[in-house]
Amino acid sequence: MQKIETWLGWAAIGIFSILVLMSFLDYQIYPAMWWGAGLFYLGYFVYLVISKRMISYVIKRLFEGVIVIFLIATMTFGLLRLLPGGPFDSEKALAPEIKANIEAKYNLNASVPEQYANYMMGLMRGDLGESYKYLGRDASDIIAETLPKSIQLGIYALIVSYLIGIPLGLMAASNHGTKWDSASMIFAISGVSLPSFLIAPIFIIIFSFWLGWFEPALWDGPAYYVLPMVILGIRPAAVIARLTRSSVLEVIRSDFIRTARAKGLEERVILYKHVLRNSLIPVLTLSGPLVAGILTGSFVIEQIFAIPGMAKHLITSVTNRDYPLILSCTLLFSVILVVANILTDLLIAAVDPRVKMGE
Amino acid sequence: MRHSIFLAILLSSIGLLSCTKKTTLEYGLKLEETIRINLLSEPPSIDWHKGTDTTSALVTENIMDGLTEYDYSSSELPTHGALATELTPSNKAKTWTITLRKGVKWSDGVEFTAQHVIDGWERLLNPKTAAEYAYFLYTIKNAKGYSEGKIKDFSQVGVKINDKGQLVVELEQPQSYFPYLLTHHSTFPIRKDIVEKFGDKWTDPANIVTLGAYKVKIWEHDKNLVLERNEDYWGEKAKVKNILAYMINEYSTALNLFDSGKLDFQQSLPSRELAKLRTKPGYRQTPIFSIYYYGFNVRKPPFDNVKVRKAFAQAIDRKQITELINGGQVPLSSWIPVGMFGYEAERGLKFDPEAAAKLLDEAGYKDRSKLPSIKLGFNSNEDHQRIAENVQAQLKKNLGVSVELRNEEWKVYLNSLKTDPPNMYRMGWVGDYPDPDNFMNLMTSYSENNKTGWKNAEYDKYIQEGASIVNRDQRKAVYSKAQALMTEQEVPVFPVYSSVTQNMISERVQNFPLNAMNRFPLKGVSLK
Repeated sequence: MQKIETWLGWAAIGIFSILVLMSFLDYQIYPAMWWGAGLFYLGYFVYLVISKRMISYVIKRLFEGVIVIFLIATMTFGLLRLLPGGPFDSEKALAPEIKANIEAKYNLNASVPEQYANYMMGLMRGDLGESYKYLGRDASDIIAETLPKSIQLGIYALIVSYLIGIPLGLMAASNHGTKWDSASMIFAISGVSLPSFLIAPIFIIIFSFWLGWFEPALWDGPAYYVLPMVILGIRPAAVIARLTRSSVLEVIRSDFIRTARAKGLEERVILYKHVLRNSLIPVLTLSGPLVAGILTGSFVIEQIFAIPGMAKHLITSVTNRDYPLILSCTLLFSVILVVANILTDLLIAAVDPRVKMGE
Repeated sequence: MRHSIFLAILLSSIGLLSCTKKTTLEYGLKLEETIRINLLSEPPSIDWHKGTDTTSALVTENIMDGLTEYDYSSSELPTHGALATELTPSNKAKTWTITLRKGVKWSDGVEFTAQHVIDGWERLLNPKTAAEYAYFLYTIKNAKGYSEGKIKDFSQVGVKINDKGQLVVELEQPQSYFPYLLTHHSTFPIRKDIVEKFGDKWTDPANIVTLGAYKVKIWEHDKNLVLERNEDYWGEKAKVKNILAYMINEYSTALNLFDSGKLDFQQSLPSRELAKLRTKPGYRQTPIFSIYYYGFNVRKPPFDNVKVRKAFAQAIDRKQITELINGGQVPLSSWIPVGMFGYEAERGLKFDPEAAAKLLDEAGYKDRSKLPSIKLGFNSNEDHQRIAENVQAQLKKNLGVSVELRNEEWKVYLNSLKTDPPNMYRMGWVGDYPDPDNFMNLMTSYSENNKTGWKNAEYDKYIQEGASIVNRDQRKAVYSKAQALMTEQEVPVFPVYSSVTQNMISERVQNFPLNAMNRFPLKGVSLK
């Protein structure tokens, strides 16, 4: 039983890595591969849920999630109607009869409760409505076209942040109190405090203009991906480094490590096999919020590098008062947050033998 | 260990890929056949009856033609025929007879006819289309009624095809500048059958049918747009085969791409970089028909008193402002922008702090503390902020008056202007057509864009008269009187400057027709 679980876990990581690497190198990923991977992950999570006896827990969480999303939809709808300035206000004022035509077209002349009812009915059917700004395009089309790029960027950044953060935290902890420790924590603090709109231009000047390694903007292949993903990954990397460090320090001081040392195990084995494994659990806990944070926080990076992702719609839809798009973006990110948190719980259950829900 | 292998693969693949310099561009386009430009955003709509922004216009004006087009060789931008070969006014410019070009083909091979023009106008005015620019044709008889839904039958609207196949347009009022309206994308003809067939999706590259010098080839939303030369174009064919437009919201990002040789033309430059960019060979600065002004809310004290308005208008030195923002803008005391027909440099109240202080004394505010509190409103933006702070300082120094700055987010600000404008408010106007009427009309009592509350019957009369005169000298005289009345006697506004655009053009691009309407007709552009 334990063995199947381990194998499935490695397969999950393997499939993920292959897909990420293929997308990074701009190989075409066929729909069948997406479907296959999707089915595998669905199966994997169902297996996890069942084997860990978490069915009732997951159902409860999903139910809560639906309520949260309903509340968010309602609140956003209400707040939008309170916000002064409408979608069709512009520098050139509209004649009243033209405004009336437009409002009739988008059903904005109906009463607010009626609009709310219409909106909720649409939502039930999965119809998010037509954008007021990008005429003739549904909000769901806009999301379907831009979200994959944001996810792509987000996943790259997340990988970068783990690749930098974990070794750094480990190094700091294992050299606790030395200059290595201070150096990596200085990096961590500057990573958290330096804003990306400052790091980005500096990196562009160095790596794009001086060294000529990477492209300064756009989104068209590996040479374009590197700068944005690294810059977006720096802040979470710093967070992960600090968390790993404190978590490793805690584990190092625990009894079973003392036992391992007393047994005369090699320090490297202790560190990689016993300490690291156990100290990664808090880091994993952070992943859910981190994913949502990276996806929503990529606005600045997407702007600076002209990446065709959806983070900019989160902001510009509000300045445009594009009600359907605002609501769709808000809902989407709520869904991502809810789902990411549930998945994180499942993953923790998968790696941490102490966790057994529903017992 | 696993990590380091992964990292090694990652780094080596990046190294390999970044070493190979691209000779072909995206979608396999050849560099020597392509102009690369930036778009400031995703085009909100390339449906030319619905689009209202400059980005959409850039696309529609290259893929479509109007009945007339601008003559870019002259700075005043007169029009000449495009899809029309002849426009003849009669009945004092109240009736226009338009002869259409023969042998023009749409991109699907169908012949262009007068009916396509009528279909286009019907669609623009149809309440169901809900087009913001419908008012462009309100000048046509019964058009407004049709747009309001009061007239159901389009045959009552003043446009017909006569037995010679010409269009005969009947206007409500005489309108000497009618040909200008036909340069605008909202008045372009359309293929009704295509729109009906594909619905909202008719503007997708696979569906759209056009007749301009370029065709839409690829439209990757939020990313790139590719236009390709129309080989069956009725006029002189475009010189460059492809236009590759990257959608880049951030000006400084576009500048990075321009600097690294990935853009051939950049529209709009970051204002903080202008001083440095001005020294570069590719820098271009072009005056445009656009003004920046402050309006006075004349409904409320103290600006209900014309003396106070005059005092404020003379207490601000415009030159300080244009030097502050340093983008080449021209101080403007009149209302018609620099370079436009009817522009008079000497019109309007000039900077005169002594006269200003005296006027304010006369207005009963010798004791400045008696002035009601004055709010100066603008929408949140760095440049507007800097200008407002400068105005605030100048008023303090020259008049001893304190004004309070109030900034709001753009849509909130627009809402405030509609409901309760601040005592002084910032606004701008970008010309829709290069005729003084487009600017002078703003301040009529019936204009939606006049937020000052100022109403003047004499002024309204001048503007209506100006629109109906064909003779240029006579028109000019009327606008001169109207400008004197508004900017010197009544002063509901304080014009600040006439705008310019800043662009970068690479050395490989030639004959880029930068112009006062800030249009981008690319068919004449060539590559070295």
